[in-house]
Amino acid sequence: MGFIKRSLLSIVRNKVKSFILLAVIIVLGSLIAGAVSIQQATSNVEKNIKERLGAAATLELDYEKLDSLSEEEWMEIELQDIDLETIKQVGELSYVKYYDYNMSNYFGSKSIKSFQGDDVEYEVEYEGPSMDFMLKGINYAPVLDFEEKKGKLVDGRVFSQEELDNGTYVAIISKKLAELNNLHVGDTLTLVNEVYTFDNKTGKEKLVNSRDIVLEIIGLFESQKVKEDADGNSNRGMFDWMDIDYQNTIYVPNEIVRSETQYQMEEYMKADQEFAEMWEEEGSSFEHYTPMYVLNNPEDSEAFEEEVLPLLPEFYKVVSASDHYDSIAGPVESMANLSKYVLIAAVIGTVLIIGLVVLLFLRDRKRELGIYLSLGEKRSKVVSQVVIEVLVVALIGITLSLFSGNFIAAQVSDSMIQADNSSMDDDVIYYSELQPDLTTDDVIDSYEVNLSSSYILGFYGIGMLTILISTVIPLIYIVRLNPKKILM
Amino acid sequence: MILEAKELNYYYQDGDMRRYILKDTSIAFEKGKFYTILGQSGSGKTTLLSLLGALDTPHSGTVLFKGEDIKKIGYEKYRRNHVGIIFQSYNLIPTFTAVENVLIPMSITENEVPEDKKTVAYNLLDYIGISKEKADRPVNKLSGGEQQRVAIARALATNVELILADEPTGNLDEEMEQEIIDIFKKLAHEHEKCVIVVTHANEVAVQSDQSFLLRKGVLTSNE
Ligand SMILES: Nc1ncnc2c1ncn2[C@@H]1O[C@H](COP(=O)(O)OP(=O)(O)O)[C@@H](O)[C@H]1O
Ligand SMILES: [Mg+2]
Repeated sequence: MGFIKRSLLSIVRNKVKSFILLAVIIVLGSLIAGAVSIQQATSNVEKNIKERLGAAATLELDYEKLDSLSEEEWMEIELQDIDLETIKQVGELSYVKYYDYNMSNYFGSKSIKSFQGDDVEYEVEYEGPSMDFMLKGINYAPVLDFEEKKGKLVDGRVFSQEELDNGTYVAIISKKLAELNNLHVGDTLTLVNEVYTFDNKTGKEKLVNSRDIVLEIIGLFESQKVKEDADGNSNRGMFDWMDIDYQNTIYVPNEIVRSETQYQMEEYMKADQEFAEMWEEEGSSFEHYTPMYVLNNPEDSEAFEEEVLPLLPEFYKVVSASDHYDSIAGPVESMANLSKYVLIAAVIGTVLIIGLVVLLFLRDRKRELGIYLSLGEKRSKVVSQVVIEVLVVALIGITLSLFSGNFIAAQVSDSMIQADNSSMDDDVIYYSELQPDLTTDDVIDSYEVNLSSSYILGFYGIGMLTILISTVIPLIYIVRLNPKKILM
Repeated sequence: MILEAKELNYYYQDGDMRRYILKDTSIAFEKGKFYTILGQSGSGKTTLLSLLGALDTPHSGTVLFKGEDIKKIGYEKYRRNHVGIIFQSYNLIPTFTAVENVLIPMSITENEVPEDKKTVAYNLLDYIGISKEKADRPVNKLSGGEQQRVAIARALATNVELILADEPTGNLDEEMEQEIIDIFKKLAHEHEKCVIVVTHANEVAVQSDQSFLLRKGVLTSNE
């Protein structure tokens, strides 16, 4: 009857007490495990979504700030463009993995048709000049959209630095556009740069001048962001529309967009003297660049923002892809908050209640401990016997509560997310240069309650430690007494 | 002398006053004898016995076991190897069976115990008057007399020469009392144990080989 055998025997013989202790541990443990599971799941979501949102950032006018200006202030200010210097300066910061800055412009074509969706049965006829194709100017040869998985090169090649530097007339077009027009890598396609003036009196447009843009196709890309699932998602229409836009995008060296835009401006100014003078006076430039930075790490976005802001002209701000997290992660965030409070309450409650239960458990057994002492048992063994007893029960309790807590967390999360989500009027869809297609549904999809090994270890560790401490302290108080005080 | 107490002092602090329970108490015991210490309730019997059994420590004075100070032996070690103690309220582990209660000290002591502990425990219980069937019952399902027998068996299980008992028959009827006393006599006379019983009952005292009287913290021979 060594102390280990005694403790195991005691658990079995004191069935009711062991069961009460077990029940208390399971109930409180489930609460904690549940709260921790939810916490863990929400932090997973945050990481997951932020990763999917990517590490992209751009510089934009801060419209909110502009809107808040009074009329007088509005007249005072002079909005500056972000110049190329600043764009490049920001691009050299250590946070930036790579970056690009683009001009874009829309052009039509007489020889090729634009892509209008996979299942369009009728063709839409437009009056007047068509502007179906967007030329997107590239300064970063590997094409940032491909690196960031918005699109994927499926045939041919990307640009060479030489082509970018010289403004060679080469292009990468979408595979769908190519198939529609029976174009292949090596073929040429012709767009037309037409300059019109608009007569206010007659309401008619007048062609001033035009020239062809002849591009050699060097590569084909496919859109990557189109969702493969064909479930009746209510947002599909939106995505389709966005996708069609992308299918009609043509990547070219930026110099081409610049020179074609310059041609437009010059021809237009020839036809409209008034405009030319005004333009001249204001010293405006037609070179508007949208920069796009990809950071090494999405978590750097705040530090990046802090460093970039002083470099920007007034009324500009940094927009990071991960900024949108808050706007789409509402239901998950509210779960995280709730579970935080549950966790704090549960931990405090557990320490108190377990402490009390163990104390009662021991008070009842004080005499028994005195008997062992009177028989000459070592204090350390008397303590060990009870500790083993409590810890064995605790181990079973914690193990069970780990699973029940996880199960409860999954149930609670499900019903809460459903309730929370359906109470929102609309799914938040954020469409910008940065992120075309992440919705609240995506956030909820990536919310998953599961057990990671570090969490399990932590849970056992904290649980056992709590119980160990609340057992050992009163135990030591008891075995310090001499046996006469306990027994006689 | 197997056990000697020398000038034991034990008191309770009562404000500024010391209320002595034992005052310079000295006493000596031999092997093979059945001793009783007689005293009224509150006279300090339990106090004296707990000092002899190292369940408590005196404020001054020494207890010698075979000439060696038990403080030097170590109180814990003295309890587990040299003395068996029997209480008025039995003090058995209630959820364990009789035989399990007897087995406990056998695993605690450093004295040599036979290989087949369980057989020894059953035999010991049988000798004291507990059948095999009763030995396998949880002790809280035994009568008072039976429980005290189990407690005696437990005290004997480590094969000690010294048995201390604090009013062992205080909760038992006369018939039971006599049976227990007979066991003590047998242990002293046939098994060469030193049995020291404290009691307030004169009919127990008269059956012992030697009896002391404890009054107001002072021991005298009870002739
Ligand atoms: N904790 C205590 N504080 C003060 N006095 C006590 C305490 N415990 C016992 N006593 C007193 O010590 C005396 C001796 O007690 P005890 O040895 O138990 O006597 P007995 O066993 O002979 O009845 C009693 O008068 C009792 O009132
Ligand atoms: Mg007493």
